Amino acid sequence: MLELKDISAGYGRINALSGVGLKVDAGRVVALLGANGAGKTTTLNCISRVVALTSGEIHFEGQRVDRLASEDMVARGVCQVPEGREIFARMSVRENLEIGAHLRRDTAVIRQDLDRVCEYFPRLRQRFAQEAGTLSGGEQQMLLIARALMGRPKLLLLDEPSLGLSPLLVEQIFAIIRQLNKEGLTILLVEQNARIALNVSDYAYILENGEIAFEGNSADLVRDDRVRQAYLGA
Amino acid sequence: MDWQLIWLFLQQGVASGLVTGSIYALLAVAIVIIFKTTDAPNFAAGELFMAAAYVALYLLVFLALPFIAVVPLSLGVAFIAAALFYRIVLQKIGSSAAVTVNVVIATLGLSFVLKGAVRKTGVGDVPRSFPSIFGNDTITIGQAVLTLQDIGILALAVVSMTIFFLFFNFTRTGRAMRAVGMNPKAAVLVGINLRRTRMLIWGLSGLLSSLAALLIAPKILMTADMGSVVILGFAAAIIGGFTSLPGAVLGGLIIGIAENLVGLFISSRAISVAPFVAIMLVLVLRPQGLLGGKVAVKKV
Ligand SMILES: Nc1ncnc2c1ncn2[C@@H]1O[C@H](COP(=O)(O)OP(=O)(O)OP(=O)(O)O)[C@@H](O)[C@H]1O
Ligand SMILES: [Mg+2]
Repeated sequence: MLELKDISAGYGRINALSGVGLKVDAGRVVALLGANGAGKTTTLNCISRVVALTSGEIHFEGQRVDRLASEDMVARGVCQVPEGREIFARMSVRENLEIGAHLRRDTAVIRQDLDRVCEYFPRLRQRFAQEAGTLSGGEQQMLLIARALMGRPKLLLLDEPSLGLSPLLVEQIFAIIRQLNKEGLTILLVEQNARIALNVSDYAYILENGEIAFEGNSADLVRDDRVRQAYLGA
Repeated sequence: MDWQLIWLFLQQGVASGLVTGSIYALLAVAIVIIFKTTDAPNFAAGELFMAAAYVALYLLVFLALPFIAVVPLSLGVAFIAAALFYRIVLQKIGSSAAVTVNVVIATLGLSFVLKGAVRKTGVGDVPRSFPSIFGNDTITIGQAVLTLQDIGILALAVVSMTIFFLFFNFTRTGRAMRAVGMNPKAAVLVGINLRRTRMLIWGLSGLLSSLAALLIAPKILMTADMGSVVILGFAAAIIGGFTSLPGAVLGGLIIGIAENLVGLFISSRAISVAPFVAIMLVLVLRPQGLLGGKVAVKKV
């Protein structure tokens, strides 16, 4: 479904990614792990066409997409849940969700989807009219995922959904991620929390200093000694 | 001064103040929407306003077009000119560092270009007056006397601001504009085209300035320096908190009323001081402006 071929990217003179190759097959959960500053967010932003490549190619559903604009990626069904709390703070929860469907014109279906995403996150329904900036951190994370779902993604890019959440909430969010995948959504999951990410994913890549250091089936990586030492603290 | 006279002056001051205040309010809204989404004040707002008035004058007096054609043409020209300015000049700057300073310099540059253009074309070399569509008959409300033209100005300003607020708050494009103002990064990720949205905002700001120009032109003597009126739009924006649209409107009305009350109660020579006294009072009592929310600490 998605393939990054040898991509490099940077910020000014800083090189953030050098020669990253990565594949996400339809229907799978693929994890992208790595320490702080390894280049995980940069990778997602290359896919979302927010950060420009300096070399390499990105293919989505058989077509080359690395020259497209960011809205074209959303239109094609690649939606990102960014790290941090990138909500529209002064809009209501409802508007935050509706704006996730900004590029869609099927008003009737959008209304149904509003109900559908609130089934995953009943908490949001109760806060519909509230300003999004007044939500708790966990609720804001739910809102971000729900907003991305409003774009009807085929491929969901998740950037550290567990960051700053209580263990209970992390469990809940990952249960929903599993469920979304079971319902057919393909997911590229960026995480610091390697244990939980390897647990939900089928396949994983590990970034070190902008290069892929390890890759393999998640089940195998969990047992790999080097991975265990560096990322699972064992 | 007896109570009856005070009561009369109060009524007249508020009524006349609402009329001029509604124009400052339009200008303040034009300034605030750009500030919220481009992160820099548009220092060419005054000259856009002035040039828009001259475009209308040119169409009306020199080309002898009817009002019905002049209004949409002038608004359209202002919309397109402001949008193109963003597209051609600011877009270039946006990709370099030190964005805010450069935007300010570019808008100052535009203001000189526009002023020069109006002075050199022979339209703006002598003061001119702008014909009015409304008669000069008067209406008495309570004890306040307004001309039909005043009523027309107020009505048109209120109607257009209402349309603008409905558009801004309840349409897809308006929502995209608010989103870009709140969080451009998130806006990009939901598929909003930043460049197009900002261009539209500049266009809209030009349109509002030109509307203000059309409304006020018949009341004043037109010169190439008439753009200085926009300083009162900035003042209104500051009183309102600089990022709040309702605040901008409120600020505009307050300044209009303050000017008129000062003119009636103190002296017409003190009018130009009134807005700054109002700004100082508001900033001392509420540093964030009337509706500005908390003083924002900007994340870097
Ligand atoms: N906007 C930027 N300007 C300059 N350098 C940047 C920018 N964003 C990221 N970088 C640099 O690029 C490198 C990769 O950053 P990136 O955000 O992709 O890391 P990450 O793996 O997502 O880290 P984290 O787990 O902390 O989110 C880092 O060295 C970072 O300092
Ligand atoms: Mg990151």
